[in-house]
Amino acid sequence: MVNRLRGGKIPAFSDPETKRAQFEAAALPFTGRLYSAARRLTGSDDDAADLVQDTFLRAYRTFENFQPGTNCRAWLFTILYSIFLNERTRHRPTLLSAEQLDTVAAADRELAPGESPWSLEVERALRRLPTAFRAAVLLVDVEELSYEEAAAAAGCLVGTLRSRLFRGRKLLGAMLRDHAREAGFPPPTKTSE
Amino acid sequence: MNDNHRFDEELQDLLDGRLEEPARSEIAAHVTRCPRCREELAALERARAAARGLPPLAEPADLALRIASVLDAEDRASAPGPTRRRLAHRWPLVAAGLIAAAVLVALLLRPSATADLPAAVGRDFAGYRDARLALELRTGDPAALERFFAARGIAFPTRVFDLGMMRYRLAGGRVHRVAGRPSALFAYTGPNAAPLICEMYGGSLAELPRAAEQRVHDGITFRVYRVGRMTLVFWQEGTVVCVLASEGNTDEVVQLAYAKAVKV
Repeated sequence: MVNRLRGGKIPAFSDPETKRAQFEAAALPFTGRLYSAARRLTGSDDDAADLVQDTFLRAYRTFENFQPGTNCRAWLFTILYSIFLNERTRHRPTLLSAEQLDTVAAADRELAPGESPWSLEVERALRRLPTAFRAAVLLVDVEELSYEEAAAAAGCLVGTLRSRLFRGRKLLGAMLRDHAREAGFPPPTKTSE
Repeated sequence: MNDNHRFDEELQDLLDGRLEEPARSEIAAHVTRCPRCREELAALERARAAARGLPPLAEPADLALRIASVLDAEDRASAPGPTRRRLAHRWPLVAAGLIAAAVLVALLLRPSATADLPAAVGRDFAGYRDARLALELRTGDPAALERFFAARGIAFPTRVFDLGMMRYRLAGGRVHRVAGRPSALFAYTGPNAAPLICEMYGGSLAELPRAAEQRVHDGITFRVYRVGRMTLVFWQEGTVVCVLASEGNTDEVVQLAYAKAVKV
């Protein structure tokens, strides 16, 4: 995104109504995806809603920095993750222990109607990943951003993102394998590509 | 580094299609020969597939309203004219203005005229719904309607909101009267052409009768009344009382009020 913004700001909007209309058209369609990511980052419905609300407010204030035609979703995720990290640093200066994370994971959301119990196990395993690894998996695998977009969103180099993603996937795979073994069934071997 | 440890993150590069030739062919050939790397690649692919298979999570029903509300507040804060931010630097003038307005409001308040404000607003809603109360300006442009109210002598700043995100389209407005005092009345058309009106008038929540329900949101008190099938939600903004009236679901009307209200 840095490169994208290096091209310069777009001209200021001619009037507030134009800005509002363009912002709503460009950004609001991603509300659901931002909420999903926020929920998976924070582990809380209320915190996720607050995070999404703050993300849209900051995005709106800096909408002049967004270049039409570029990936608005990636830009929004950059803002969201930045606010998440800042809030987390301010309110939760110490890392949660594995036991605490277990508690958070156990208190996680309930199964939605028609949803596979397996996806809840994936959610739970994802929640137990260290934040940086979880963010990498969320941004690349769940939200399907490119490595470059995900690195910009996470505020790190592409190489760092690649390492975090690798370690996140390895941990996630190990947790799911262990769970599947304990539960007595093999994890789905869904393949893609 | 022995052969078993030659490839690590490169397996992920292979999986994600991020390798160019000849590295791609070299690593792919290695994977066919090396059981450990084959298993490693399969494990990465399983983890990726598991994450990719996660469904989107249902967002809270009021999230869109919350977002609209903060964007509205931001619009108001950055609008030209005497915004709260600018007024903060001119607080003596503001204080004098507020005192004058309070005196004016006190003079205007007559118990007989304010005895049943919810019923009065309910009658206005029914009048608009039944086409007995005509709009003087038909417009979907909130700014145009605000200019209209100012030109027609409404003394307080009116805030006409675009509730389009909540699927309510501005239809227009008229200068009206509530309890003997001027009001800015504006109307919206919601889903299934359901009407919604908003009225703003100088006054105080203290004039209202006891409410069936009182809610507090973001530090603002909302009084909720039912008049027949109508829901009326009143709240205070400075020296102005705002009310929304509709025959829609009570919670929906309250949520619209939350979206519109601003603490002054």
